[in-house]
Amino acid sequence: MTTKPALSGLATHAVMVLLALVAVVPVYWMVATALRPETELFSTTLWPTRPSLEHFAYVLEVIPMLRMLWNTLLMAAATALAQIATALFAAYALTQWRFRGSNLVHSLIALSWLVPFQVTMIPNYVLATKLGLLNSLTGLVLPNAAAAFAVLVLYNAMKSFPKQVIEAARMDGAGHWRILWQVVVPNLRAALASLSVLAFISAWNEYFWPLLLIRKIDNAVVQIGLQMFMSQEGNQWGALMAAATLASLPVLAIYLVLHRQVIESFMKSGIK
Amino acid sequence: MTAETAVTTPARNGLLPRLRLAPWLYLAPTLAVLFVWIYLPLFQAVQLSFTQWNMLPTATPRPVGWENYRNLLALPELRQAAWNTLWYVLGLLPLSVLVPLAVAILTQDLGGPLRNLYRALIFIPMIVPPIVAAVLWRWLLNEDYGLVNRIITALGADPVSFFQNPDIALWTMVWITGWKLMGFATLLLSAANGTIDPGYVEAARMDGATRWQIVRDIRLPLLSPTILLLTMMTILFGAQWSFVYINAITDGGPLGSTTNVFFLMWKYGFQTFSAGWSATAGVMTFVMFGLIALALLTLSRKLAFHDN
Repeated sequence: MTTKPALSGLATHAVMVLLALVAVVPVYWMVATALRPETELFSTTLWPTRPSLEHFAYVLEVIPMLRMLWNTLLMAAATALAQIATALFAAYALTQWRFRGSNLVHSLIALSWLVPFQVTMIPNYVLATKLGLLNSLTGLVLPNAAAAFAVLVLYNAMKSFPKQVIEAARMDGAGHWRILWQVVVPNLRAALASLSVLAFISAWNEYFWPLLLIRKIDNAVVQIGLQMFMSQEGNQWGALMAAATLASLPVLAIYLVLHRQVIESFMKSGIK
Repeated sequence: MTAETAVTTPARNGLLPRLRLAPWLYLAPTLAVLFVWIYLPLFQAVQLSFTQWNMLPTATPRPVGWENYRNLLALPELRQAAWNTLWYVLGLLPLSVLVPLAVAILTQDLGGPLRNLYRALIFIPMIVPPIVAAVLWRWLLNEDYGLVNRIITALGADPVSFFQNPDIALWTMVWITGWKLMGFATLLLSAANGTIDPGYVEAARMDGATRWQIVRDIRLPLLSPTILLLTMMTILFGAQWSFVYINAITDGGPLGSTTNVFFLMWKYGFQTFSAGWSATAGVMTFVMFGLIALALLTLSRKLAFHDN
């Protein structure tokens, strides 16, 4: 009776350790390689015996890494803010009013993420060119200024929001604008926070649209900078790993601090 | 309370609800973005699919009727990409559904402080930027110096050409895509598994049900909504998720063996500049996946078991 649970407990841990190793070792190996001096690049010791920052120094010298990180930060923050603002308005409209066409609007929003980006890329690219948005951060943010998943998450959050509170505010003579900002938003703080983290990470990791729009490394976000660096430097593994480490550092830092909330928000709103 | 809003409106304005402006103002930003960047382009893509255009602003698209569709359907390249798309999805399902399901059920009794550590660790691949995942797996699986091949040769086997061998490259892409999803799917299924009422399991155990019977007759049916969700996600988006790795690592090769339909559209559009072909492949893909989505939704309504 006592050995069986102990044994299955051991098996449980073995499974989890294995899965954790599969998840973490690749990321660890990237950082470890980045920290090895060029002469020991192909060493297979578990950690760099003589850690060196030479690859990081090289990366910072040959590509505008800090500038790209800054660009990405701006783009991701602006995208997250825009998505939250547009989603707040849309979710408020869909939950507080009954109007003709609201079901159609709801389906149009929900179905929008079924359209693969590759299908709409050429018309989008043509439009962005016409508007002079090539190589600009604005161009990166605009098409992502509204996101179906943000609307749907806030829609669900607002739907379960007690109607009495809103009614009471209306009795006090508050208009919709004031109700939204002074009653609804303060009460949705948790949902808004987790949504902004999610939107920020997704925007930070966005790859396809920047790939089309950004052609100059000075205006690049870090994903595209890394892609360009890879095609140039091909097999400079130390430098590549250092650049990749720098490109993932901000999201990993967020994750280190907020991992529980990040996991929660990803699980609540599905994969996309 | 919702009913009240609905009732007061006609009462105030006669029988027909007044066309209200306010909700549309609040919806305007979202609808504008979706219209300009998704629905209008979708419509334009359909138009483009009936034309020939090299994407130069100076040239105008020339109408060609159904020619693009006829040409593409006769093209071995498209057929290969379509089959590859299927392999991507089939290859991903074990990584995004089966393995996570097995792990979630095997580790359901796991408690204690280590549980949160495991959770935090297995989720990491999900937040790593996809292009970073491409770069680091390119290094790990490098034929000469990559860690994986170092281990393989140390074990006495020949190094594997993970990216150059046309028989293996697609599965390498599948693995990288799945690597990112595995932890996330596991956590999703574990969470669903954790919400199962222990009373059911206890009752079944009292009736003498074996461990496997409990899994088959209680856990799997109660997990079916989550299983279906993950399966649907994988079928609808799996091949799209691998785009980054194909573009960054193999460029669709060797010999087109890693090209799926999404990469093919990209290739036609921005490598060979045949906008008509790209749009045609896009429209066909969209229609196919739309039908699949419809079928899956109908199926999931019938299959999913809900604990009411």
